[in-house]
Amino acid sequence: MSDSSESASVSLKIEFSGGLELLFSNQRSHKLKIPAQVPKTYGDAASDSDNKPADITFLIHYLRDNLLKERVELFMENGTVRPGILVLVNDTDWELEGEGDYVLKDGDEVVFISTLHGG
Amino acid sequence: MSCGNPVSEEDSLMLRRTKYDKTRICGKCRTNVGNVVIRHAVYCKECFLPNITTKFKRILEPTINVNGTRKKGFKPTGNLCVGFTGGLGSTVLLDLISDCYYSTPTNEDVLKGGKDHPRNAGVWKKATVCYVEICNALPGTRDRTEEVRDVVEQYKHFDFLPLRIENAFDDMWWEKVGGQRSELSLKVDIGNEELVMIPQPIESRDPVAALLAYISALPTQTAVPSAIQNLVRLLLLRTAWSTDSSHLLLGTCLTSLSVSLISSISQGGGFVVREEAQEEWQPTVSSGSRRAIKVVRPLRDIGMKECAIWAWWRGLKVVGKESFLGGKQGIGALTKNFIVGLERDYPSTVSTIARTCGKLAPKDNSEAICLLCERPAQPGVQDWKARISIRSFADPGLASPPPHATNVVSNKTDDLSGPSLTPYLCYPCHTTLTSRSSRGSTASALVNSTPLPVWVAPQLDGKGIVEEWGSRKMERSDMKQSISEFLLPDEDS
Amino acid sequence: MSPRTCALCATNKAMLKRPKTGQQICRDCFFYVFETEVHNTITQSSLFKPGDRVAIGASGGKDSTVLAYVMKTLNERYQYGLDLFLLSIDEGITGYRDDSLETVKRNQQQYSMPLKILSYDELYGWTMDAIVAQVGKKNNCTFCGVFRRQALDRGATVLGVDHIVTGHNADDIAETVLMNIMRGDIARLGRCTAICTQGEDTIKRSKPFKYAYEKEIVMYAYFKKLDYFSTECIYSPDAYRGHARVFLKDLEAARPSAIIDIIHSGEAFEVREEVKATQKVQQTCKRCGYMSSNDLCKACTLLEGLERGMANSGITDRARKKLDAEGPAPENIRTIPFYNPPSSTLVIAVEATNDGKPSTS
Repeated sequence: MSDSSESASVSLKIEFSGGLELLFSNQRSHKLKIPAQVPKTYGDAASDSDNKPADITFLIHYLRDNLLKERVELFMENGTVRPGILVLVNDTDWELEGEGDYVLKDGDEVVFISTLHGG
Repeated sequence: MSCGNPVSEEDSLMLRRTKYDKTRICGKCRTNVGNVVIRHAVYCKECFLPNITTKFKRILEPTINVNGTRKKGFKPTGNLCVGFTGGLGSTVLLDLISDCYYSTPTNEDVLKGGKDHPRNAGVWKKATVCYVEICNALPGTRDRTEEVRDVVEQYKHFDFLPLRIENAFDDMWWEKVGGQRSELSLKVDIGNEELVMIPQPIESRDPVAALLAYISALPTQTAVPSAIQNLVRLLLLRTAWSTDSSHLLLGTCLTSLSVSLISSISQGGGFVVREEAQEEWQPTVSSGSRRAIKVVRPLRDIGMKECAIWAWWRGLKVVGKESFLGGKQGIGALTKNFIVGLERDYPSTVSTIARTCGKLAPKDNSEAICLLCERPAQPGVQDWKARISIRSFADPGLASPPPHATNVVSNKTDDLSGPSLTPYLCYPCHTTLTSRSSRGSTASALVNSTPLPVWVAPQLDGKGIVEEWGSRKMERSDMKQSISEFLLPDEDS
Repeated sequence: MSPRTCALCATNKAMLKRPKTGQQICRDCFFYVFETEVHNTITQSSLFKPGDRVAIGASGGKDSTVLAYVMKTLNERYQYGLDLFLLSIDEGITGYRDDSLETVKRNQQQYSMPLKILSYDELYGWTMDAIVAQVGKKNNCTFCGVFRRQALDRGATVLGVDHIVTGHNADDIAETVLMNIMRGDIARLGRCTAICTQGEDTIKRSKPFKYAYEKEIVMYAYFKKLDYFSTECIYSPDAYRGHARVFLKDLEAARPSAIIDIIHSGEAFEVREEVKATQKVQQTCKRCGYMSSNDLCKACTLLEGLERGMANSGITDRARKKLDAEGPAPENIRTIPFYNPPSSTLVIAVEATNDGKPSTS
């Protein structure tokens, strides 16, 4: 693999709503860059053979480890978002986009909305 | 999603299936690419929004006129009261009410429908948005009144009416909403199933202190959210009454309705399963006209996901509700976790629950109204309880105590130290006040009597309670009990 | 902490905290209230009359083992005058039923009650092992449930009994109330809290443990030193019911009365009259004579599907249509022997009410 593909990254706009922003420094809008290629199993060391393109499942874990400030149990459960949290990709329900398997593209806007509005 | 069997009928076995039917094209216009999946159906944004409005009107509008028809436009018999919690549902509800019935007419609209068109004039003359702040019931939670005020005051047609949960123990508030003053004041001994009432000198009390005494006397943590919910409900109903409202609208969406149905059933509320979805209420004791308030939940066909997407696309700010501290132990919170989890994997579940409960009716008719929640109360529940959970060998329904029990003293006091509140309560309210956990309780052993909400005592007037007390000499022990919490330990010895 | 005296008798030392009420009581009082509550359940609904022949549905598990013991005890203590029998169904699940049937056989000796064991194999020609081999582990509970119900009735006919009692406890009933609401099964919701339902024609079915907590049944077995087998089926139950069960346990942990509270709810409501009118009338199955709401009863439909290699036809409407499209059932498939109920005076089986039944005492 060439150097350029290894270091390639994806720029994303992330929004939190419905109270989820409280878990993320009370900031609704975030801009971030994530690697385009990520390990198949989250947390594994990067290797050339066992990579996959960055998808929403990766993003969820990445947000947990890099942006989430408190109470992970209100954001994640069983490797995905907790029931009651909606995900929109470019204004479209992620259930139409393959949920966690959706491969992120440069410039994508991903919105996480809690319907549980807890404190 | 893999599936062992080509089975598709969802009611038979509740199988998981793909989140949407075959195509990504909007099922409504069949033109646009869909944006959202609602219970397997795909909608584009353009079709989604009017669809929500339609579902909202379909529930609400048949209830506006007395006879249900709307041939000559809407003519409600009173004003509008909206219960606002700051949560998602009521935020969406306010937006929809404003949009459908109070939107500012543009010139074009005036031309279209004329001044009397429902779109151009408020359907209800006056619209009050009532918010009940509960922070004083749950120490450590924040007061959201001002945040809520900011949201409500964006809508210029609505009057904002903030209440506080301690109003439930506030005689001044009670007088203001037209409540009847009672000839008696009482506390109730929450230490046993009988809930013996203890007369109190009539004097002004501090509402917050009374509220906290009530909350801390409850037998379990589980009872706290249930008790708070009931207080809020009655405060809203009374407010609707005092604002001459014919309608009280609540922001209960389909998901929340399913949660409250299951939660109510889990607390023994099967008898009032209808009232959980829709009810007509009037005070049991009132001066003046007999009119009933319709309590309507116009979002009850709209799921939580739909509400969240509506709020997002309409750019609504959701203040958020207080998630009860320690409320994880509450029946409501447990039910919510359960239902929201199920809804993700089996999206039809919530509508099935609501539909099934809609087919139910109480088995017996009852004229009795519970003093605490002012809903119908089923007769005979105490006998039922005593028979299936024996708590004492002195219960009349039982034969002799077992041979080894030579020591049995009548621990069900035959001569109770006062009249019992229990016969005046419904099953769920009695359970909230008495059901104990096997894992310890919140109530300390010292505090076992509690004041009651302002609406309880007036309903006891004329039931012979005062006479019963009047004819009885106050025993020293009764007097001591009624002031026990003010006595210091060494005065005791 | 100083030893506490029993909250009930105020005599003995408290030995346990009662799951149902949270009261601290002694062992003797626990036995007494447990048994008396079952007795109250029986007398309140006038379940039996002297001379009744009653079969106890016995699986060898905790509920039915305790039920057999308590039924025998109460029959003697209160002179119900019942002839008691044990009735066991062998589903044909290797390594699961074998041991528990031993328990039932031992109960037969201990309590000197006649025992009848009826197997799916002899009645339907299919063991559950064979059914699972064809349909897989999904949906197999549907087959087992339908087959068991009919097998119990047929076994009861063989024994010539009037009444079957089963070990369904309060937890089971509360769970069923929730399940029926979540599945929208309005017909079952209407009858699942009934203490007694009419089975096939004159055979009544009832649940004396309707108000007994599962935890207390285990506690009772433990203190009475009754031995039983764990009867967790090796073919796992459907996931959906599993969710409901976990939820119920959470509720019970938060508020022990929740189980009883749910049953109370189930007893307080009924299906609205307008909805009742749309429900199907019971008839008898054209093929085997068992009660049914269609031409073919559920067991015959399921069996036909198995025999024709289209097991799902008894489960979904779509698969049923596909089966029907292939023409009528071949002559050579195995069917259930025609059922001759003990008394055929009633053709339409309706849900039993407690009206007009002779009293026990």
